[in-house]
Amino acid sequence: MENDLHLSQHISKRFNQELEEVRNQVLKMGGLVEQQVSDGLVALLEADQVMAQKVVDTDTQVNAMEVEIDEVCTEILARRQPAASDLRLMVSIIKTITDLERIGDEAEKLGKNALKLLSEDSSARQFVELRHLGDSVKKMLNRALNAYARMDVDEALDIIQSDRNINQEFDNISRLLVLKMMEDPREIKNALRISWSARALERIGDHTKNICEYIVYLVKGKDVRHTSLDDIKKQIQS
Amino acid sequence: MVDISSSESLLSEDTKINGTVGNCFADDAKMSMRNVNVFYGDKQAINNISLDLARNQVTALIGPSGCGKSTFLRCMNRMNDTISICRVEGEFKLDDEDIYTKKMDPVLLRARVGMVFQKPNPFPKSIYENVAYGPKIHGLASNKAELDEIVITSLQKAGLFNEVKDRLDESGTSLSGGQQQRLCIARSIAVSPEVILMDEPASALDPIATAVIEELIDELKEKYTIAIVTHSMQQAARISQTTAYFHMGQLVEMGSTSQIFTNPTHKLTENYITGRFG
Repeated sequence: MENDLHLSQHISKRFNQELEEVRNQVLKMGGLVEQQVSDGLVALLEADQVMAQKVVDTDTQVNAMEVEIDEVCTEILARRQPAASDLRLMVSIIKTITDLERIGDEAEKLGKNALKLLSEDSSARQFVELRHLGDSVKKMLNRALNAYARMDVDEALDIIQSDRNINQEFDNISRLLVLKMMEDPREIKNALRISWSARALERIGDHTKNICEYIVYLVKGKDVRHTSLDDIKKQIQS
Repeated sequence: MVDISSSESLLSEDTKINGTVGNCFADDAKMSMRNVNVFYGDKQAINNISLDLARNQVTALIGPSGCGKSTFLRCMNRMNDTISICRVEGEFKLDDEDIYTKKMDPVLLRARVGMVFQKPNPFPKSIYENVAYGPKIHGLASNKAELDEIVITSLQKAGLFNEVKDRLDESGTSLSGGQQQRLCIARSIAVSPEVILMDEPASALDPIATAVIEELIDELKEKYTIAIVTHSMQQAARISQTTAYFHMGQLVEMGSTSQIFTNPTHKLTENYITGRFG
């Protein structure tokens, strides 16, 4: 799939190298963010204090990577004035890393919520639904990063579609938590923490969906944000 | 001249040219060219190209050296008539008038379709005379006052008047490169053209003089229809509304400049504007 954009076929070898390097940086950032989400979930679901603190501390690394990649992109824009697919690559990278950074922030929230729950001697361990939502979101993010690496539009579309399921799972958890709070008002504080964690996971799904939309833009040159899936498919075929 | 037949086999499947992609026709065309073929002796330089210049727009013709873009540009005001081995086929219409009929006087045509060249080429005369020359030979002014008016207005439109108003008697060649090029633009404007053809008008100029010329082109399009040949991708992207990509004598793709520079359809266009191996 990578060959579709022929990123390594510029007459300038240095330019090929620059694009390759910045793409690798994005994938590395994606890997770190994926690990943060995974660690955040372990911290939350296994009530692991060390892991929770690690997630919170590592967020600065994610932020630093965003700034670093932004700088590289700015330099490429200034020096190379890329056009067509190269320009779309730059735009998609600049937008992708913003979403990755926000996913990092949401992962940090998972860690922070885990720490708060631990301080109240509570945990999210018993929440099978939250575990399930976490697994779905983790899988979605993993697939999106792979689709990004391979520039796989079909996979990106499939992932965009799967965001609906994430939203549905989030709604179910919200309902369960409302019930729980009504049953036992003493649980409200901790239930809210779990609700915020579920909300963070749902937001990760949204950001992941955005990344998939950038993949479509990068490969097909079509801006499919704020468009229904059916319209996206029509646009791509046209 | 590139030999089309021998190079064709080097093209891979997705870089083959099967007619023009995109939209080469305008709703409101100032000039319409249809099925144009141009030969230099036995060599074919232009291969069946049809396109329109949209009225009051800037159309950029881009492509690698030897792709035929300058040849095509020169055909639009019959500059190739002077080359004995050059043979031009096809239809060239200015509004609805065929410019290649016998009754069309090429000198009058070139007043209506002016040209600005890569290298500024002012006459070795005064600044005033450079601009006044065209109106004089075409009898556009009946007295000195009218001629003065035309010269001043043309220099103003070309954005040069303020810089030269105190030295209109000085030689045109004493000006800087950028000023000389604007003088040439003033000279072409002086005969009230309808279309201005520009063949790399800024390639010999520094970035500041280039920016001035580009700003001027943007203003000129309000009154004139402009076609520009340029090797600078950024220049085409900055100043044109429509871009046509030529390759080996063929028109590969034509469309809105924003589309061509963000999401070109043909692989060859993509390769050219992104600096990839074609």
